[in-house]
Amino acid sequence: MKADVAVVGSGLAALVATRSLQKAGRNPVLIWPGLSSLYFVYATVDVLGYSDATSLQPVEHPGTGVAALIADHPDHPYARAGLDALGAGIALLMEWLEEAGFRWRGSLDRNLLLPTAIGTPKPSCLYPESMAAGDLGRDEPIVLCGFEGYEDFVPELAASNLSRSWGAGDQSVRAIRVSLPGFDSGKMFTSIDIARNLENDAFRREVAQQIRGKATRDGDHVRVGLPAVLGLTHDTDVYDRFQSELGHPIFEIPTLPPSVLGLRLFDRLRKHLQETGVEIIWAAPAHAAELSGGRCRRIHLKSAGREQPVEARAYILALEDAVDGAMRAGVRTIRDPFFHQTLAQSGVPTDRTDESLFKAQPFARVGYAVTDRLQPVGDDGRPLASNAFVAGGAIAGYDPAGTKSRGGLAIATGYRAAQEAMAA
Amino acid sequence: MITEEIETFSDTVEEEAPVEACTKCTACNTVCPVARSTEIFRGPKSLGPESERYRSHQETAVTAGLDLCSGCKLCEVTCPSQVTIQEYIRRAQSKGADEKGRTLRDWVLGHTRLLSTFGSLTAPLANLGNRNPLVRLLMEKVVGIHRNRPLPRYQWLTFERWMKRHPRPAQARRTVAYFYGCWVDFNERRLGEQVVAVLERNGIEVMIPKQQCCGIPAVVNANMKLARKYGAENVRRLNELPAGVDIIASSTSCGLMLKHDYAHLLEIEDAEKVGTRVYDICEYLWMLHEAGELDVDFQPVPMRLLYHAPCHLKSHGIGYPAMRLLRLIPGVQLEEVDEGCCGISGTFGMKVEKYDLSMKIGSRLFEAVKAAGRDSVLADCETCRMQVEHGTGARSAHPIDIVARAYGHR
Repeated sequence: MKADVAVVGSGLAALVATRSLQKAGRNPVLIWPGLSSLYFVYATVDVLGYSDATSLQPVEHPGTGVAALIADHPDHPYARAGLDALGAGIALLMEWLEEAGFRWRGSLDRNLLLPTAIGTPKPSCLYPESMAAGDLGRDEPIVLCGFEGYEDFVPELAASNLSRSWGAGDQSVRAIRVSLPGFDSGKMFTSIDIARNLENDAFRREVAQQIRGKATRDGDHVRVGLPAVLGLTHDTDVYDRFQSELGHPIFEIPTLPPSVLGLRLFDRLRKHLQETGVEIIWAAPAHAAELSGGRCRRIHLKSAGREQPVEARAYILALEDAVDGAMRAGVRTIRDPFFHQTLAQSGVPTDRTDESLFKAQPFARVGYAVTDRLQPVGDDGRPLASNAFVAGGAIAGYDPAGTKSRGGLAIATGYRAAQEAMAA
Repeated sequence: MITEEIETFSDTVEEEAPVEACTKCTACNTVCPVARSTEIFRGPKSLGPESERYRSHQETAVTAGLDLCSGCKLCEVTCPSQVTIQEYIRRAQSKGADEKGRTLRDWVLGHTRLLSTFGSLTAPLANLGNRNPLVRLLMEKVVGIHRNRPLPRYQWLTFERWMKRHPRPAQARRTVAYFYGCWVDFNERRLGEQVVAVLERNGIEVMIPKQQCCGIPAVVNANMKLARKYGAENVRRLNELPAGVDIIASSTSCGLMLKHDYAHLLEIEDAEKVGTRVYDICEYLWMLHEAGELDVDFQPVPMRLLYHAPCHLKSHGIGYPAMRLLRLIPGVQLEEVDEGCCGISGTFGMKVEKYDLSMKIGSRLFEAVKAAGRDSVLADCETCRMQVEHGTGARSAHPIDIVARAYGHR
């Protein structure tokens, strides 16, 4: 098929690129290989949490932090995308979220420290309203509430970690547990099951009543942190009602995959794109790029029965990382699916990883080397195609997890790639 | 030492995802329409790749709850690692039936072509019976088909026989073979007539190769052997078509069987050669349009329409060609109703113990359709149309119905 701009991917970078093109009056088609990292890791948008992967001191002002990073590392993807692209991309996303019915808050001016599921403080600058009351810059005591039988959030562990890092002074953290009506301890269930049930008024009221009984002894001004299970959709009804039924401010804490917060974002933004006329090609992993005369002429999708060529004026390759097939790893090499370039080579697979889970992982930095216009380059440093652009986690040379910058980079590079694609 | 051991592994990346490619991310469970609607279903992850690791040729394949998988394939559409989740479930279910025996209903629903041939021959009587509460009660008790599920109307004049009388166009610039499937043949001849009219309007002659049921009813009713038999018959006949003749299907699921499942799920020899030639009718027309060969001299069709994308269409990996096509027609107001699976999944929603579940799965779609209040709901898949009509009372049609109208075909 023919398209104006083909965007490959389904993560935040792909969505921001697609939305940018749509808002500029262009006609993008979105090609999905399957669900992306958005579904698994995103809860907040982190622009820059730590200046490097080993730093323990969170960045306070992400806007200034990125500017400093760009000055120090001209090869960093943030430097290539540019600070303007980050600002414009964030403005576009926040406006889009509002139009799509979300309530999100934050800006590039300040990182909030929000508690994680294991009770560590994590710097984030854009976050859903349902997480805002978790701000560790505030003093109100925190009650962390878990659910019997739900193993992905252990309130005692989170409370004990949190009281070490945060509640050492006058602040207090306490853990409670309540049981979910109808959820027997022998049964396996996930955050999705709880979220679906909390949409039911009677179920939710019963849970709220239990929590109220256990939380109020900490005083009136206590806030309650819960795993992120307050409804499956972007509709904030469940959050609002639960908060008023409970009589305390509440905040959600992101959990292990499947992340309800990521799912809400993903489901709604995808649907909103479709409602506003963007075509999505499902279940078609991109397979190969056809190059001639320095341009990408076609990409081939693995559709049912045969390869489906997509012919566009420009291509944005916004696969996030290994999760959604941006890279394919053999025993010794990691290759990309479009140009079949060798992105990394190692004698043994263990060279790609560090034994310590808490150190920077070499594989996180593997990806496409790109030009200042985000074009992927070959071994000779020249662009593989003048009309192909890379966005998101598949760009080489940075560690999005270690620096807490995955979201910001996806937005900046997604936005920039869209601008370049329009000019190509 | 490690290096030496590793030397023995190949460095190639597998093209087909093996079961180990499952990273247990649970994406499939969250999109599964059955898992979303009932807590008794353990979900595709558990019944597919997780159980698959414990299955072998020697061991009994039966895992409880396999029959609750409706076969919509949304898990496979969603899987970021391209694991063939639903195929594992189908194979295990069929193997279980091989070992434990099949029910009368498995047999009946797997043999829809046989049933339809009979239904068509006795059309007035069969249709009367299918609407008779007493007959339906009996059918529910004996076969297990829910009494409230409207069954398709049979027509006495089949599409195949209609086509024999249909005059061939005097001139044609190319010929296509039409895999019309059981539905068009026995239940909705009109759709077949429209497909032929639309293609002929574009200078394309339509021939109909001899064909068998595509086999999908057998696949989902635990009978891979029967499906393979049907499939092999179709593959043999379709491979006899002259080179350069493309194959068109107007049923989403028949098309998917021909394109993909024959070669992959059923592992039928030479099926890939068929798969590369098969096109969904709207996909084909859009291709003509991009080549500048589609007659776009459409009459206005002033209708407010909704489009429901069938789950199996997503599996085709071709986007929504029907929507692109319909937007070429003046007067058409078209919106997508994006509320996921309709719930019927072929014969799944006909079963007595699954009817309620099927209606619950479709409830989000039904509400959205009722709220939108459009002239008609378009869907490429026949059972989706049945379900939408049953669940909402709205009218439903294949997108080709609108294209045919725009060409002035009645």
